[in-house]
Amino acid sequence: MKSRILQIIALASLVAGGCGGSKPTNIDIVNDDGKSVMALDYRDFDKAASEMVQSMLSSGALKKNDGGRYIVATGRIVNDTMQRIDTDQLMAKVEEELMNSGQVVMTSAVGSGTDKLIHETRELRDSEEFDQNSVAKRGTLLAPELSISGKIFQRNLAYDSKNQQVEYYFQLKLSDATSGLRYWQKESLIGKRGSNKSVAW
Amino acid sequence: MKSLIILCVMLMLFGVGCGPKSSDERVHVRSGISGDSLGNNIITRPVRDAFESLAGAGIVVDEAVMNRNNNSGLLQIFIAGHNTSSKTKRFRYRVEWLDAEGLAIDTKTSVWLPMSAMGKSPFQIKSVAPRAEAVNFRMDTRKWE
Repeated sequence: MKSRILQIIALASLVAGGCGGSKPTNIDIVNDDGKSVMALDYRDFDKAASEMVQSMLSSGALKKNDGGRYIVATGRIVNDTMQRIDTDQLMAKVEEELMNSGQVVMTSAVGSGTDKLIHETRELRDSEEFDQNSVAKRGTLLAPELSISGKIFQRNLAYDSKNQQVEYYFQLKLSDATSGLRYWQKESLIGKRGSNKSVAW
Repeated sequence: MKSLIILCVMLMLFGVGCGPKSSDERVHVRSGISGDSLGNNIITRPVRDAFESLAGAGIVVDEAVMNRNNNSGLLQIFIAGHNTSSKTKRFRYRVEWLDAEGLAIDTKTSVWLPMSAMGKSPFQIKSVAPRAEAVNFRMDTRKWE
Protein backbone atom coordinates (compact mmCIF):
# COMPACT_ATOMS: atom_id res chain seq x y z
CA MET A 1 0.00 0.00 0.00
CA LYS A 2 2.79 2.38 1.02
CA SER A 3 4.82 1.67 -2.10
CA ARG A 4 1.72 2.17 -4.23
CA ILE A 5 1.20 5.66 -2.74
CA LEU A 6 4.85 6.49 -3.32
CA GLN A 7 4.54 5.41 -6.96
CA ILE A 8 1.52 7.65 -7.46
CA ILE A 9 3.28 10.63 -5.87
CA ALA A 10 6.38 10.10 -8.04
CA LEU A 11 4.27 9.81 -11.19
CA ALA A 12 2.22 12.90 -10.31
CA SER A 13 5.34 14.98 -9.68
CA LEU A 14 6.85 13.91 -13.02
CA VAL A 15 3.70 14.81 -14.91
CA ALA A 16 3.27 18.11 -13.07
CA GLY A 17 6.95 18.99 -13.60
CA GLY A 18 6.64 18.51 -17.33
CA CYS A 19 3.58 20.71 -17.59
CA GLY A 20 4.79 23.87 -15.91
CA GLY A 21 8.20 24.81 -17.27
CA SER A 22 10.23 27.46 -15.49
CA LYS A 23 8.42 30.63 -14.56
CA PRO A 24 9.73 33.78 -16.28
CA THR A 25 11.71 35.99 -13.93
CA ASN A 26 13.30 39.39 -14.28
CA ILE A 27 17.10 39.41 -14.31
CA ASP A 28 18.81 41.32 -11.53
CA ILE A 29 21.05 43.25 -13.90
CA VAL A 30 22.97 44.93 -11.04
CA ASN A 31 24.01 41.71 -9.28
CA ASP A 32 23.37 38.96 -11.79
CA ASP A 33 24.32 35.52 -10.43
CA GLY A 34 23.20 33.78 -13.60
CA LYS A 35 25.45 31.36 -15.41
CA SER A 36 27.58 32.51 -18.31
CA VAL A 37 26.44 31.70 -21.81
CA MET A 38 28.58 30.93 -24.85
CA ALA A 39 27.15 33.81 -26.85
CA LEU A 40 27.74 37.44 -25.91
CA ASP A 41 25.32 38.67 -23.27
CA TYR A 42 24.78 42.08 -21.70
CA ARG A 43 27.42 41.42 -19.02
CA ASP A 44 30.06 41.01 -21.71
CA PHE A 45 29.09 44.29 -23.31
CA ASP A 46 29.09 45.99 -19.89
CA LYS A 47 32.60 44.70 -19.20
CA ALA A 48 33.96 45.69 -22.60
CA ALA A 49 32.35 49.14 -22.47
CA SER A 50 33.61 49.78 -18.92
CA GLU A 51 37.17 48.82 -19.84
CA MET A 52 37.09 50.91 -23.02
CA VAL A 53 35.73 54.03 -21.32
CA GLN A 54 38.16 53.82 -18.39
CA SER A 55 41.11 53.32 -20.71
CA MET A 56 40.08 56.17 -23.02
CA LEU A 57 39.49 58.62 -20.16
CA SER A 58 42.68 57.78 -18.29
CA SER A 59 44.80 58.10 -21.45
CA GLY A 60 44.12 61.84 -21.53
CA ALA A 61 43.36 61.65 -25.27
CA LEU A 62 40.02 63.36 -24.65
CA LYS A 63 41.41 66.17 -22.50
CA LYS A 64 41.48 69.36 -24.55
CA ASN A 65 44.28 71.77 -23.74
CA ASP A 66 42.02 74.85 -23.74
CA GLY A 67 39.58 73.17 -21.34
CA GLY A 68 36.86 72.82 -24.00
CA ARG A 69 35.20 69.68 -25.25
CA TYR A 70 36.11 67.67 -28.33
CA ILE A 71 33.45 67.02 -30.95
CA VAL A 72 33.43 63.27 -31.49
CA ALA A 73 31.69 61.21 -34.18
CA THR A 74 31.15 57.48 -34.11
CA GLY A 75 32.38 55.88 -37.30
CA ARG A 76 31.89 52.31 -38.45
CA ILE A 77 31.86 49.56 -35.85
CA VAL A 78 32.09 46.27 -37.74
CA ASN A 79 30.37 43.18 -36.39
CA ASP A 80 32.52 40.28 -37.59
CA THR A 81 31.03 37.72 -35.22
CA MET A 82 28.62 34.90 -36.04
CA GLN A 83 25.98 36.64 -33.97
CA ARG A 84 23.50 39.22 -35.03
CA ILE A 85 24.76 42.08 -32.91
CA ASP A 86 23.67 45.67 -33.02
CA THR A 87 26.99 47.37 -32.34
CA ASP A 88 25.08 50.14 -30.59
CA GLN A 89 24.88 47.69 -27.69
CA LEU A 90 28.53 48.58 -27.09
CA MET A 91 28.69 52.10 -28.48
CA ALA A 92 25.59 53.48 -26.77
CA LYS A 93 27.24 52.77 -23.41
CA VAL A 94 30.61 54.16 -24.51
CA GLU A 95 29.09 57.32 -25.99
CA GLU A 96 26.89 57.90 -22.94
CA GLU A 97 29.83 57.66 -20.56
CA LEU A 98 32.10 59.82 -22.71
CA MET A 99 29.48 62.56 -22.87
CA ASN A 100 28.78 62.33 -19.15
CA SER A 101 32.51 62.70 -18.46
CA GLY A 102 32.19 66.31 -19.64
CA GLN A 103 35.21 65.95 -21.91
CA VAL A 104 33.47 65.39 -25.24
CA VAL A 105 30.29 66.17 -27.10
CA MET A 106 29.06 63.64 -29.66
CA THR A 107 27.81 64.76 -33.06
CA SER A 108 24.69 63.42 -34.75
CA ALA A 109 25.50 65.23 -38.01
CA VAL A 110 27.82 62.58 -39.45
CA GLY A 111 28.91 59.04 -38.72
CA SER A 112 26.98 55.98 -37.70
CA GLY A 113 24.97 57.95 -35.16
CA THR A 114 23.64 60.33 -37.81
CA ASP A 115 20.25 61.83 -37.16
CA LYS A 116 18.57 62.07 -40.60
CA LEU A 117 16.33 64.86 -39.44
CA ILE A 118 19.32 67.20 -39.13
CA HIS A 119 19.76 66.98 -42.89
CA GLU A 120 16.06 66.81 -43.71
CA THR A 121 15.35 70.07 -41.87
CA ARG A 122 17.97 71.76 -44.07
CA GLU A 123 15.94 70.80 -47.12
CA LEU A 124 13.25 73.17 -45.88
CA ARG A 125 15.30 76.22 -46.89
CA ASP A 126 13.27 76.87 -50.02
CA SER A 127 9.90 75.97 -48.56
CA GLU A 128 7.43 78.80 -48.21
CA GLU A 129 5.58 76.79 -45.57
CA PHE A 130 8.33 77.34 -43.02
CA ASP A 131 9.53 80.50 -41.35
CA GLN A 132 13.01 80.71 -42.84
CA ASN A 133 14.36 82.34 -39.67
CA SER A 134 13.67 79.05 -37.88
CA VAL A 135 15.47 76.96 -40.50
CA ALA A 136 19.13 76.16 -39.88
CA LYS A 137 21.43 78.42 -41.88
CA ARG A 138 24.23 77.21 -44.12
CA GLY A 139 27.55 76.58 -42.41
CA THR A 140 26.10 75.95 -38.97
CA LEU A 141 27.01 72.29 -38.55
CA LEU A 142 30.26 71.57 -36.72
CA ALA A 143 32.60 68.93 -38.08
CA PRO A 144 33.93 66.25 -35.73
CA GLU A 145 37.45 66.63 -34.41
CA LEU A 146 37.79 63.00 -33.33
CA SER A 147 36.26 59.81 -34.60
CA ILE A 148 35.76 56.42 -32.97
CA SER A 149 35.77 53.29 -35.08
CA GLY A 150 36.17 49.64 -34.26
CA LYS A 151 35.40 46.02 -34.71
CA ILE A 152 33.98 43.07 -32.79
CA PHE A 153 35.15 39.70 -34.02
CA GLN A 154 34.94 36.09 -32.94
CA ARG A 155 37.18 33.02 -33.13
CA ASN A 156 35.88 29.51 -32.50
CA LEU A 157 38.43 26.86 -31.52
CA ALA A 158 38.14 23.18 -30.65
CA TYR A 159 39.30 22.88 -27.03
CA ASP A 160 38.94 19.11 -26.82
CA SER A 161 36.62 16.49 -28.23
CA LYS A 162 33.66 17.70 -26.15
CA ASN A 163 34.35 21.38 -25.57
CA GLN A 164 34.92 24.46 -27.62
CA GLN A 165 36.60 27.77 -26.91
CA VAL A 166 35.10 30.98 -28.20
CA GLU A 167 37.09 34.21 -28.17
CA TYR A 168 35.44 37.57 -28.66
CA TYR A 169 37.62 40.55 -29.43
CA PHE A 170 36.35 44.10 -28.96
CA GLN A 171 38.57 46.68 -30.63
CA LEU A 172 38.12 50.45 -30.62
CA LYS A 173 40.28 53.24 -32.07
CA LEU A 174 40.18 57.01 -31.55
CA SER A 175 41.55 59.09 -34.42
CA ASP A 176 42.04 62.76 -35.12
CA ALA A 177 39.72 63.70 -38.01
CA THR A 178 42.07 66.44 -39.28
CA SER A 179 45.44 64.74 -39.20
CA GLY A 180 44.30 61.13 -39.30
CA LEU A 181 46.57 60.36 -36.37
CA ARG A 182 45.41 57.71 -33.94
CA TYR A 183 45.46 58.91 -30.34
CA TRP A 184 44.16 55.86 -28.57
CA GLN A 185 43.19 52.26 -29.16
CA LYS A 186 42.29 49.26 -27.06
CA GLU A 187 41.38 45.63 -27.38
CA SER A 188 39.22 43.88 -24.81
CA LEU A 189 39.07 40.10 -24.93
CA ILE A 190 36.28 37.91 -23.60
CA GLY A 191 36.95 34.18 -23.70
CA LYS A 192 34.47 31.37 -23.04
CA ARG A 193 34.79 27.61 -22.86
CA GLY A 194 31.87 25.26 -22.97
CA SER A 195 30.23 22.25 -24.49
CA ASN A 196 30.22 21.76 -28.24
CA LYS A 197 26.46 21.47 -27.89
CA SER A 198 26.25 25.14 -26.90
CA VAL A 199 25.86 27.34 -29.93
CA ALA A 200 27.86 30.54 -29.96
CA TRP A 201 25.77 32.35 -32.55
CA MET B 1 51.75 8.25 11.06
CA LYS B 2 50.68 10.80 13.67
CA SER B 3 54.25 11.89 14.21
CA LEU B 4 54.72 12.25 10.43
CA ILE B 5 51.79 14.66 10.21
CA ILE B 6 53.10 16.63 13.19
CA LEU B 7 56.50 16.77 11.49
CA CYS B 8 54.94 18.02 8.25
CA VAL B 9 52.98 20.73 10.07
CA MET B 10 56.10 21.79 11.98
CA LEU B 11 58.10 21.94 8.76
CA MET B 12 55.35 23.91 7.11
CA LEU B 13 55.03 26.39 9.95
CA PHE B 14 58.70 26.95 10.50
CA GLY B 15 60.09 26.13 7.12
CA VAL B 16 57.97 28.41 4.91
CA GLY B 17 60.52 31.16 5.12
CA CYS B 18 63.34 28.80 4.27
CA GLY B 19 62.38 28.14 0.64
CA PRO B 20 64.67 29.13 -2.19
CA LYS B 21 63.98 32.80 -2.87
CA SER B 22 64.75 34.79 -5.95
CA SER B 23 67.69 37.14 -5.57
CA ASP B 24 65.36 39.93 -6.69
CA GLU B 25 62.06 40.25 -4.79
CA ARG B 26 60.34 41.57 -7.91
CA VAL B 27 60.85 38.20 -9.59
CA HIS B 28 58.59 35.46 -8.23
CA VAL B 29 59.75 31.91 -8.92
CA ARG B 30 56.82 29.61 -8.15
CA SER B 31 56.92 26.23 -6.57
CA GLY B 32 57.16 23.65 -9.30
CA ILE B 33 59.50 25.95 -11.20
CA SER B 34 61.99 26.43 -8.40
CA GLY B 35 63.47 23.47 -6.58
CA ASP B 36 61.71 21.98 -3.54
CA SER B 37 62.65 23.19 -0.10
CA LEU B 38 62.28 21.99 3.47
CA GLY B 39 58.95 23.73 3.91
CA ASN B 40 57.68 23.33 0.35
CA ASN B 41 57.94 19.86 -1.09
CA ILE B 42 55.83 16.95 -2.27
CA ILE B 43 55.13 15.84 1.33
CA THR B 44 54.39 19.19 2.94
CA ARG B 45 52.41 20.75 0.07
CA PRO B 46 49.16 18.76 0.61
CA VAL B 47 49.34 19.43 4.35
CA ARG B 48 49.96 23.13 3.70
CA ASP B 49 46.99 23.27 1.29
CA ALA B 50 44.72 21.60 3.85
CA PHE B 51 45.97 23.96 6.56
CA GLU B 52 45.33 26.97 4.32
CA SER B 53 41.79 25.82 3.59
CA LEU B 54 41.20 25.41 7.31
CA ALA B 55 42.66 28.82 8.10
CA GLY B 56 40.63 30.43 5.29
CA ALA B 57 43.51 31.78 3.24
CA GLY B 58 42.47 34.08 0.43
CA ILE B 59 42.52 37.65 -0.82
CA VAL B 60 43.91 40.40 1.41
CA VAL B 61 43.86 44.09 0.49
CA ASP B 62 47.06 45.83 1.58
CA GLU B 63 46.57 49.37 0.39
CA ALA B 64 44.13 51.65 -1.43
CA VAL B 65 45.65 54.75 -2.98
CA MET B 66 43.47 57.51 -4.44
CA ASN B 67 44.83 60.37 -6.53
CA ARG B 68 44.17 62.45 -9.65
CA ASN B 69 45.11 61.03 -13.03
CA ASN B 70 47.81 63.27 -14.54
CA ASN B 71 46.47 62.90 -18.08
CA SER B 72 42.76 63.42 -17.53
CA GLY B 73 42.52 65.10 -14.12
CA LEU B 74 39.98 62.46 -13.07
CA LEU B 75 40.12 60.63 -9.76
CA GLN B 76 41.72 57.20 -9.90
CA ILE B 77 42.35 54.42 -7.41
CA PHE B 78 44.96 51.71 -7.09
CA ILE B 79 44.06 48.79 -4.86
CA ALA B 80 47.05 46.65 -3.97
CA GLY B 81 46.62 43.29 -2.35
CA HIS B 82 47.84 39.74 -2.29
CA ASN B 83 46.55 36.21 -2.33
CA THR B 84 47.57 34.35 0.84
CA SER B 85 46.34 31.04 -0.57
CA SER B 86 48.49 28.76 -2.72
CA LYS B 87 45.69 28.44 -5.22
CA THR B 88 44.58 30.97 -7.80
CA LYS B 89 41.70 33.06 -6.49
CA ARG B 90 39.19 34.37 -8.98
CA PHE B 91 36.71 36.99 -7.92
CA ARG B 92 34.70 39.93 -9.18
CA TYR B 93 34.90 43.50 -8.00
CA ARG B 94 32.85 46.62 -8.54
CA VAL B 95 33.97 50.16 -7.91
CA GLU B 96 31.32 52.78 -7.20
CA TRP B 97 32.23 56.45 -7.30
CA LEU B 98 30.81 58.85 -4.75
CA ASP B 99 30.16 62.55 -5.15
CA ALA B 100 30.74 65.24 -2.52
CA GLU B 101 27.46 64.35 -0.82
CA GLY B 102 28.46 60.71 -0.56
CA LEU B 103 25.96 59.60 -3.17
CA ALA B 104 26.89 56.95 -5.73
CA ILE B 105 27.35 58.39 -9.21
CA ASP B 106 25.18 56.66 -11.79
CA THR B 107 27.61 55.30 -14.35
CA LYS B 108 27.82 52.38 -16.74
CA THR B 109 31.43 51.78 -15.71
CA SER B 110 30.35 50.56 -12.24
CA VAL B 111 29.87 46.93 -13.22
CA TRP B 112 31.20 43.67 -11.82
CA LEU B 113 34.59 43.10 -13.39
CA PRO B 114 36.65 39.90 -13.20
CA MET B 115 39.99 39.67 -11.39
CA SER B 116 42.34 36.78 -10.89
CA ALA B 117 45.23 36.53 -8.43
CA MET B 118 47.62 33.61 -8.61
CA GLY B 119 48.56 31.75 -5.46
CA LYS B 120 50.91 33.58 -3.06
CA SER B 121 51.03 36.53 -5.45
CA PRO B 122 50.28 40.22 -5.32
CA PHE B 123 47.57 41.79 -7.49
CA GLN B 124 46.55 45.30 -8.36
CA ILE B 125 43.28 46.88 -9.39
CA LYS B 126 43.17 50.22 -11.13
CA SER B 127 40.01 52.17 -11.75
CA VAL B 128 39.36 55.66 -13.10
CA ALA B 129 36.35 57.75 -12.17
CA PRO B 130 34.21 58.56 -15.21
CA ARG B 131 33.19 62.00 -13.87
CA ALA B 132 35.01 64.97 -12.44
CA GLU B 133 32.55 65.18 -9.51
CA ALA B 134 33.80 61.92 -8.00
CA VAL B 135 35.58 62.60 -4.70
CA ASN B 136 35.56 59.16 -3.10
CA PHE B 137 34.85 55.54 -3.89
CA ARG B 138 33.71 52.26 -2.43
CA MET B 139 34.59 48.83 -3.72
CA ASP B 140 32.77 45.56 -3.30
CA THR B 141 33.80 42.01 -4.15
CA ARG B 142 31.99 38.77 -4.76
CA LYS B 143 32.67 35.24 -5.90
CA TRP B 144 33.37 34.50 -9.53
CA GLU B 145 30.33 32.33 -10.31
